Amino acid sequence: MGNDSRARRYAIVSGKGGVGKTVIAANLATALAGSGLRTLLVDADLGLANLDIIMGINPARTIQDVLAGNFSANEALVRTRGGFDLLPAGSGFFESTLLTPDLAASLENMLKGLDPRYDAVLFDVGAGIGDVVLFFARIADDVVLVVTPEATSLIDAYATVKILALRYGCKNFRLIVNQADPDRPEQSGKMVAARLQQIVSKFLSDKGGNPVRLHFAGALPVDPGIGRAISRQQLLVENDPHGLVASLFPRLAASLRAAPPGSLRMP
Amino acid sequence: MEDVAGEVNLKDLDLTAALRILAHAGRNGPTSSDVEPLAQLQALIDALCELSMHDGLTGLVNSVFFHAALASELDRSFRTGRGCGLILIDLDEFKLVNDTHGHDIGDHVLRAVAIQLRKSLRSMDTAARTGGDEFAVILPECTPEDAVCAATRIHGMLNPLAITTVELSLMVTSSAGLVWTEPGSVIPPKMLLAQADTELYRAKRAGRRRLSHPELVPARLSAAEHAAFVLRGHEEDSHGK
Repeated sequence: MGNDSRARRYAIVSGKGGVGKTVIAANLATALAGSGLRTLLVDADLGLANLDIIMGINPARTIQDVLAGNFSANEALVRTRGGFDLLPAGSGFFESTLLTPDLAASLENMLKGLDPRYDAVLFDVGAGIGDVVLFFARIADDVVLVVTPEATSLIDAYATVKILALRYGCKNFRLIVNQADPDRPEQSGKMVAARLQQIVSKFLSDKGGNPVRLHFAGALPVDPGIGRAISRQQLLVENDPHGLVASLFPRLAASLRAAPPGSLRMP
Repeated sequence: MEDVAGEVNLKDLDLTAALRILAHAGRNGPTSSDVEPLAQLQALIDALCELSMHDGLTGLVNSVFFHAALASELDRSFRTGRGCGLILIDLDEFKLVNDTHGHDIGDHVLRAVAIQLRKSLRSMDTAARTGGDEFAVILPECTPEDAVCAATRIHGMLNPLAITTVELSLMVTSSAGLVWTEPGSVIPPKMLLAQADTELYRAKRAGRRRLSHPELVPARLSAAEHAAFVLRGHEEDSHGK
């Protein structure tokens, strides 16, 4: 980040739920922290938060407490075993699934306060294309799209790309293909990326000559180790430090760091 | 002035007396003899307020009120996160109507436009006469799709507008430019007005009697987009087998 006073913000989005977004966010944050970046992971699924569960953490305070003004962001931050800070969210907060201007302003203020202390801030955004999801995608430097090879995941990801591209001018996305063919994950991931890019190019090219681009960041194969890590509420490096999937995250992190930011900036 | 202020005529009112009564009433409370002059004064104030907000000819809100309303609607749009539409309407070759048929007919046309506008609006919309033959409509709380739908309806009702009097019958057409704010975005009124003006200019240049607006890109997937994913899935299945 050099002299940049602001952290690089990554929004991890998927459209469809259950594609591995939260697991990827936690392990990506671990890898980014492992590469020496001061990293913050924000549970941005304000309605149905899961990161605390995945990490086996029972947080005393949540982002909702911070937004309500009851605690400072500092008091809610949790230092995790992955070497990054986690800002957990509470679950079942229906009111925080609706992005009111007050909520947006509070979130922005809170993040502005946290930014200078980190090099990388990740938002683990919820499923769907609701206001809160689009908000975090809009304020991020990089929108990281997580998909699986299934058509349901791809079409939901496409719908997410479409609304961000058309309504908010977001033209560049990083793509992680999860649950790729275990025999040739990289190759199958690239095929999925190419297929999605083809559809995006066909339907979302604007007249101004600004194509929407999906930048392939990497693929993660189907791996029973992931399920084991989730049920043990462990990070992949804790559960199976020498496993294939755990070894892929540092590469994924490096790929995301290397790509220039600029999926979208707030106007 | 008599027209607009209705029953109260400025010339009939002894303003000095009314103000004296008002000052007295303010100190001691009104006496029974003060009631009528005070009511007259109130009526005059109401009439002046009305006059300051409305265009005397058409009864639509005037340019001053329109700019204030636009600023406040854009502010509200940002707060509520709901979009807001703005239509600028300009009559086609209105100068020709005035030159050919005289200003009385011109005024008649302007009033007819106002009547049509009032008929086609929702209660929360604001229609204004912003200049000679220029009109504007603010459409609060609407999506781009709603705005296009409303503007198409309004433009349809105005085109053509048949004007019939004892002496003549003529058809008037108009051009319109529509723009909207994106939900949650902040845009100064001036910028939105400039965008609407550009669209209006496009409508004029494209041959008048048109409605012009930015390309509407629906967020929902089209049948073709949906099919792209379904067909791909089947291909994969058949390859697998």
